[in-house]
Amino acid sequence: MEFATHTWIQAAAYSSAGIAIGFGAIGAAIGEGHTASCATLAVARNPGKAGEILKTMLVGQAIAESSSIFALVIAMLLLFSNFSAESYLTVATVFSAGLCMGLGAIGSGIGSGFSAGAACTGIARQPAYSSRVMTNMLIGSAVCQTPAIFSLVTSFILLFTNFSARPVSPTWAALLGAGLSTGLAAIGPGLGGGYVAEASCEGGARNPLTTPSVINVMLLGQAVTQTTAIYGFLVSCILMFKSFPATDSIAVPILLLSSGLCMGFGAIGPGIGVGVSGQGAVRWIARNPNAAADITRTMLIGMATAQSTGIYALVVALVMIFVM
Amino acid sequence: MEELGRIHQLLIPFMGYTITINLEPVMMTWIVICVLLIFGFLTIRKRGMLPGPFQVIGEFIVSALYQLTEDAMDEELAKKYSPLICALFMFLVFSNWISLIPHMEEPTKDLNTPLSLGLMGFVLSHYEGIKAKGIKAYIQSYFEPMFFMMPLNLIGELAKVVSISFRLFGNIMGGSIIIMVISYLSYSLILPPFLNLFFGIFVGTIQAFVFTMLTIVYISVQVK
Repeated sequence: MEFATHTWIQAAAYSSAGIAIGFGAIGAAIGEGHTASCATLAVARNPGKAGEILKTMLVGQAIAESSSIFALVIAMLLLFSNFSAESYLTVATVFSAGLCMGLGAIGSGIGSGFSAGAACTGIARQPAYSSRVMTNMLIGSAVCQTPAIFSLVTSFILLFTNFSARPVSPTWAALLGAGLSTGLAAIGPGLGGGYVAEASCEGGARNPLTTPSVINVMLLGQAVTQTTAIYGFLVSCILMFKSFPATDSIAVPILLLSSGLCMGFGAIGPGIGVGVSGQGAVRWIARNPNAAADITRTMLIGMATAQSTGIYALVVALVMIFVM
Repeated sequence: MEELGRIHQLLIPFMGYTITINLEPVMMTWIVICVLLIFGFLTIRKRGMLPGPFQVIGEFIVSALYQLTEDAMDEELAKKYSPLICALFMFLVFSNWISLIPHMEEPTKDLNTPLSLGLMGFVLSHYEGIKAKGIKAYIQSYFEPMFFMMPLNLIGELAKVVSISFRLFGNIMGGSIIIMVISYLSYSLILPPFLNLFFGIFVGTIQAFVFTMLTIVYISVQVK
């Protein structure tokens, strides 16, 4: 059976909308559930502050939900937009945009939920400093969303840039690889950033006087955690904006697709690992602020080592794109 | 939506090569520099024991960033580098905030600005590293833990420049793309001011701070 290009594009857009919001719903829901569970614990510990804890829980859940809302926006765009039917490449861009946003929303949703939960229990522990804990949570959770924002940007670029002048044969795989690279690479760093923010909310509540230095180290830790998401974004940008010569062979498209996959999967582990090390550092700085300089240095060296596998993935992906 | 990713370039043919100048970042960078110069002039104009508003802001920024630098490096290096760190932070903050004014664009939205600032930090950190450890120990540090790890250590160092500059570039460029797309989808109603607040002020300040912190950390890790 033969279909027109337009039909293929519509089919891809509908299935991609399903993928976007289907995957995108995973992370935020887990994160929000975790927040609510921590809030019940907090209310049980300090029932007098139930109102404030409820408020913190709702604000925290709203931030955790934002990654899911990004996915919803992309799903709605995919369902209701009219895409140009000039070239079969639109099938690839549409499908890739949905995959990218859906996968990219998972990590950030879970991560923000962790930090909101820690803020709820922190307010129960230290009600006098609730506004500081709240600020800490807002900063931490918002920075957690960065990988999801990278996914949203990649999806927007895929949806709104006109690629139709490019040859179909290797470009479809490059565009699909671009979506997979940013999307998969956002999972680990989003989750890891949440671990760091969780420790910071908890530590800031335990020892409120250390809040400024804890926030500094948290931002540093989250920044390094997001490095592999940035590698994923870099590989996507190269795949989207480098023009590849037309080819008949199937090997070149598969090579480009797998370079995106390689960077995407390679970024998951380092993101989580580096986040765990940042979590440790922030947690122990709150307990022993005098050792902050030494703890930070140890954290950074540990992170650099934990990140090396992400760099291997980046090297292999770049070799696949430029050398092969 | 046609303007997504479009930039204004000045092409100058010169001895067979073409020199490309991205006009917007250059102009915006000069505007930021002028704003910073005016701010600096206002802070030092009336100095006194009873500080005016500008002096208070200036002293706050300088002392906070000096403290941050000294926490990571020793006192001698901190005295040497805190003016640079302070200038870097203020330049980045003003650059990231400039898009709040209509028709202005962040210079950091163009990859050239973050990349050149990242390269500056990279060169400085390695210069200090060679000075502190000596050239032999510096080169030897690339061959640890095993000699065949050398290429990967080298790439790891280069990846630092990529990550520091793409972090700033990705956040600022991403913010401006999101603002543009959502303004287009919502017919510029209600949402754009809040998006500008989040991506301009909040994310802009945090990313400027993170870039500054990472520059400090890169220098201090090389020295120790």
